[in-house]
Amino acid sequence: MFLRLVADSFSRRPRHKLLTGAALALGMAVATAAISVSLDVGDRLAREFRSLGANLVVTPKADSLPLEIGGVDYRPVNAGAYLPESDLPKLRTIFWRNNIVAFAPVLELTASIFTAPDSTTHSSEAANVRLIGTWAGLPMYSSDGTTFTTGIDRTNPWFQVQGRWFAPDAGTLKRVNVFPPDLPPGASAGHTFVPVPDECVVGANLAKRLSLRTGDHIYTADRSTAEMQNYFGRPNLPCTVTGILSAGAAEDDAVLMPLASAQRLARAKVGEYRKLYVSVLTKPEDDFGRRDPKTLAPADYDRWYCTPYISSIALQISQVLPGADVRVIRRVADGEGAILTRVRTLLWLVTFASLLAAALAVGASSAASVIERRTEIGLMKALGAGSGTVGFLLVAEQLLLALLGGGLGYSLGILLARLVGQKIFGAAPEFSFLVLAVIIGLAAVVTLLGSAIPLRRASRYEPAPILRGE
Amino acid sequence: MPDRKMFWRIIRRIFASNRARLFVILLALGAGAAVTAALLNLQVDAKRRLTTEFRAFGPNVVLVPKNSPSADSRTLPESASRSVPAHLPTGEVRVSAALYLIADVSVPSSGKATSAVIGGSNPSAFVTAFPRSSNYTEPNHSAENVCVLGARVARQLNAQQDAELILSASNRRESCHVASFRETGGPEDDRVEISLPAAQRLADLPSRISAIELRVPGTPAAIQSYVADLQRRIPEADVRPIRQFTEGEAKIYDRISGILSATVALVLVLTSLCVMAAMTNVAMERRNDVGLMKAIGGATRRVLRLFLAEAALLGLTGGVLGAAIGIVLSMWLGKAVFGIAARPRLIVYPVTVALTIIVAIAGAYPLRRLANIRPASVFRGEA
Repeated sequence: MFLRLVADSFSRRPRHKLLTGAALALGMAVATAAISVSLDVGDRLAREFRSLGANLVVTPKADSLPLEIGGVDYRPVNAGAYLPESDLPKLRTIFWRNNIVAFAPVLELTASIFTAPDSTTHSSEAANVRLIGTWAGLPMYSSDGTTFTTGIDRTNPWFQVQGRWFAPDAGTLKRVNVFPPDLPPGASAGHTFVPVPDECVVGANLAKRLSLRTGDHIYTADRSTAEMQNYFGRPNLPCTVTGILSAGAAEDDAVLMPLASAQRLARAKVGEYRKLYVSVLTKPEDDFGRRDPKTLAPADYDRWYCTPYISSIALQISQVLPGADVRVIRRVADGEGAILTRVRTLLWLVTFASLLAAALAVGASSAASVIERRTEIGLMKALGAGSGTVGFLLVAEQLLLALLGGGLGYSLGILLARLVGQKIFGAAPEFSFLVLAVIIGLAAVVTLLGSAIPLRRASRYEPAPILRGE
Repeated sequence: MPDRKMFWRIIRRIFASNRARLFVILLALGAGAAVTAALLNLQVDAKRRLTTEFRAFGPNVVLVPKNSPSADSRTLPESASRSVPAHLPTGEVRVSAALYLIADVSVPSSGKATSAVIGGSNPSAFVTAFPRSSNYTEPNHSAENVCVLGARVARQLNAQQDAELILSASNRRESCHVASFRETGGPEDDRVEISLPAAQRLADLPSRISAIELRVPGTPAAIQSYVADLQRRIPEADVRPIRQFTEGEAKIYDRISGILSATVALVLVLTSLCVMAAMTNVAMERRNDVGLMKAIGGATRRVLRLFLAEAALLGLTGGVLGAAIGIVLSMWLGKAVFGIAARPRLIVYPVTVALTIIVAIAGAYPLRRLANIRPASVFRGEA
């Protein structure tokens, strides 16, 4: 009989139930969308903040003091210490490896740049140009079959290149398999190494000064100095300009080339780099994150180590790179932390406000729906139903409505969240069952709270006056 | 006019007849208005506040001598820093002029010495350039001969707080006392910061500077037009926005204001839909009343006018109350998020009230169905 009464209530006034359900569904849809976007927005924004560039810098511990003005190091190339490039793949083994967005090693030197190999009238020259050897779009293959592409184009996304970056393997020797028909006389089948032509990217200001265009060649020595340079073991390095870099910083006056080429130019620096920029996704540092890890109790230390604070990731990196000094670039990291914390708080408050609005509106409409059933309640009571039975019936109806409306609202809200996420971040937020549970729960609580006050009053109704229509 | 009198009497009776229902509708409208007002106010304020927050990243525009940013000899006259317009409608531009040179630094007390970059900047730059750097205590500005030591220089020199440093370049010498240390992870770690006049004496470049750093507040578009204006004013310098920060900020700013706008729009839609649902319930409940009015000769239009007036009145009351609560709420929210209470914008108030009235009247749309009610069937008790 109970079920029949509930079913009857739904079938007898379908339009009315539909309206209350629709209000509920819409309210919950907005709540779902707000929660999903808020849950997701932290990660998305953190990723967005990586467009500010690297937040960690690694330098050799034993380094001499850099004499850097305007981004140019005035130390001689041979002064100071270096770090081995072969350690870099270990970065992909740290606990928070998946939070590493990109990294790029840098080896810098200064050299003169010529636009022609010999001193003809067409050759123009720029002295003391900063040459930056680094990676760009370099794929790293790991044992689990995934590829991680990294380089300065990822750590410094504001770098704009007209043309293209140098090829990741430019300036190296490529291993080529050799088969019998192509074999030089006397060689057996196997493989050989073929040098890949050198390529480089020239800063916009420098390109303007030397009137260089994509496809031109530059040389690091002309014929008169080349001989002397060769004597000192510093080869002339002709490279093809593949792109013009606009960086909005000191790099506009520099030449960027593959790390391998720079290592060859900087004599005896094979496999070494001077500075490493790492861009990592972090959790903004809170009071716990700022504590000195040495003073933490073991359990707290584990918690600190397993939280992606910038300081704990810095520690993990220094553990895999021996002899390296990992420093946090405070300008980027602290600014990011401060803004991210504020924005997150702001969004949660906004979400809370919209939840509140949804709750009040849904509560109001479910209250209205109970109020208007006075006559029905009067009739039930006249037929001998106790207040408890009537209340139970109405609550069951409301809960059923909440379940249906909440479920529908959730699906609508997910669509809405996808729309908003797609529009703002170009990516939809991830689906989460937690949100579904929260939404259904919220719908139930809100409808119950909304109907509680009128239900209490309804339980006090005297049937007779209501049935008389008073 | 008796007609009008009767109209208001009926309205009064409608309100008095069912207090619980009145309360419910007012609650829905008021809550909607409050949230709308709070979000609108916060949105206007938060966008402005965010651009201020971005200044945590430090300087975003830099002026360097034309054509040779890396050349060590080229400098700008110090007077250029005074021709930078410092007052913008969005806030103050922080200006800091700096002269960089390489000098030998030695600590007599520990006997260590090294070459390091000396950055001479006008005193405020100690404070303004990187307000959030850790291990940073404000130097005492009373004496000119204080310096701030970068963390790596300090480690190299093994210098303690208040130690005396001797700086020498060519045959010129300056001395200073270490006021504090700082670690920023940037080139500042390898520098010794001294006052600008001291650096100019050391480099023998009186009233010359090598760069001017600016912190320009405002939206990305505002910064861009400021840069263009500055380039016209100071043609001898190369004015460059630091793309790393200006570009990143523009992106992040767009995202955040996009989210805020989307949320405000969602809440507005939600409120109007829920009010509509509540009003539909009201309409159903009114069948008897409408039936009676029609039976004694009430024209449909007059009956509808009555209910629309009711809806508008409800909207007005809910809006006035809700918007006031909302603005107070937004001030509190602003305090919770940015530490400073959001400034109430007067324009938000009338906009919210108007929106609420519109929503209430739009919500009364279901009442249209009352026009189709046939009095006889109502009185027979047919559904």
